[in-house]
Amino acid sequence: MRMVCVVKFVPDVDSFSYDYAQDEVRRDQVRMVLNPDDVCAVSFALKMKEQDGDSHIEVVTMAPRSVKPHMEDLLRLDIDEGTIISDPAFAGSDTYATSTILGKYLESRKFDCLLTGTRSLDGATSHVPAQLAEVLGMDQMQDIIAIESLDSAEAVFTIEDEQYLRTYAMGMPGILALARASGYALPYIAYEDFDKDVSDKLTFVTNATLHCAPDEIGLSGSLTQVVHTYAKHHHTRAGKIVHTDDAGIDAVHSFLEERGYV
Amino acid sequence: MSDTTHILVVQDSEQCGETTSVLSLIEPLYGEGSPTLFLLAFEACDDSLFGHFHHVYRPKPSGSGMIDIPAMCDAVEDLHAKFNFDCILVPATRVGRMLAPRIARRLHTGLVADVVEVKNDGDRPLMLRSAYSGNIMAAIGAVGDGPLMMSVHPGQCRYSKAPSFATQVHHFETGTRSKSSIRLLSTEKKPLHYDIRKSDILVSGGGGAKKHFALLTQLADALGGEVSASRKLVDQGIAPRSIQVGQSGKIVSPKLYIAIGIDGAIQHVEGMQRIETIISVNTSSKAPICALSDLVVEGDAKDFMEKLLTRISQDPQQGESR
Repeated sequence: MRMVCVVKFVPDVDSFSYDYAQDEVRRDQVRMVLNPDDVCAVSFALKMKEQDGDSHIEVVTMAPRSVKPHMEDLLRLDIDEGTIISDPAFAGSDTYATSTILGKYLESRKFDCLLTGTRSLDGATSHVPAQLAEVLGMDQMQDIIAIESLDSAEAVFTIEDEQYLRTYAMGMPGILALARASGYALPYIAYEDFDKDVSDKLTFVTNATLHCAPDEIGLSGSLTQVVHTYAKHHHTRAGKIVHTDDAGIDAVHSFLEERGYV
Repeated sequence: MSDTTHILVVQDSEQCGETTSVLSLIEPLYGEGSPTLFLLAFEACDDSLFGHFHHVYRPKPSGSGMIDIPAMCDAVEDLHAKFNFDCILVPATRVGRMLAPRIARRLHTGLVADVVEVKNDGDRPLMLRSAYSGNIMAAIGAVGDGPLMMSVHPGQCRYSKAPSFATQVHHFETGTRSKSSIRLLSTEKKPLHYDIRKSDILVSGGGGAKKHFALLTQLADALGGEVSASRKLVDQGIAPRSIQVGQSGKIVSPKLYIAIGIDGAIQHVEGMQRIETIISVNTSSKAPICALSDLVVEGDAKDFMEKLLTRISQDPQQGESR
């Protein structure tokens, strides 16, 4: 069973804080993390490998070379190989160009199942898994909260929506995009492996290998363009401050009473 | 082909009603009255939206009752070949999120996700969406010759006009060139939960209330409201995902929102839209949510809920129907 996990390292936007009074985003201590939905994908692959030692896991990311230490940490788990697709020519790629580049690489790989996350913390578009499916001519399903079984012929999995839990079967090879709600968690790196040299498992791939045309990649290959960004204005209110003493509770009660809630 | 602007809306096959929100972006983009509106309506949906469109195209039922995304793409591709749409709009629902990116690849066009608003920058339409879990707004333009394409955030766009068109319904057969291998094995209805998007009063719990979920319910009952929760409570398995407020949960617009033990992370505040009155309860009045509140209670969540419940129980009208 060969599994490819397509992942993204993202700024930990949960560590952004917002000063609503000053109307500004604070991101002084933002660090890069493995996207939470992608954590579930890699974790599930490791769980599969635990059951079947012959399984093979490759983790693929398209990112600047600076993600190397993060990828090395993943490779200190029971992952067979890691690939960082990185080239200055790829910078500025939107999801369309990204799926072109990733698709070009993945077309050259033989795998039974592609595991990934449903959405990323930063862009959260969910475009890339679906667009990879189109490029590779595969089926794809996202928002998966549990994979009941997986082999080289078929996957059985459950997705959750507002009203239903639905269980599906999908022929492999195909693309399974997990949701954070699946709760699959990464194991810890063994203490003795903290500084393990994993350079033999790591490969960098550039456009010299992929041969994407210049007008397919980067800004030239992107079909959307961010024109500008801005902080969202939040409507602040001059709230009165009370406490949980009798006077405070009376104030809350009166506040609710005046508005007809009690 | 006429010079008329042609707009295609692709109806969601699971959550048919969510497609209505998409209509709110058409007038800001193209003005009133001029474009010709097409709806691609799949078999699972009734005709309640038809009157908003000049033409409704219904693909011949597949009979499988399944979500067949590649076949849906075929249907869009066929219609586009015939009508050369200027704009394609898809609701950003679960199915829409799988469908729209594939359509965009087929038609070699850019796609912007979760659009909440559109603006015209001169002749160029800009699509506005939030990014970085709601920390930043981005204005995005399309590049290239393909149709303008976006998925539309169903929770943040609203449309209330009455249907007014004499609609022509066309049944058509798509090719069978794409076929999904996906089979539905079973469907289990989840325990019935209220829809927090429809609640007038929400008592919402965060990390500071995680040990007191029962009290949240009691307070919500006493106020005639419902309980909602922050992502922290959901991720810890204390509250079901269906009642999560925020960027990754639901957008809520109650009249009264009591945030108990919630700090006000941006992704949570993103889910609080058009709320009339906000009361926040937090051990620190410097928590971000306090700046957004009409009334701030600085103190312990349990202490607050127990005391307020006692105070409400002393009301003479307590127990009468509200």
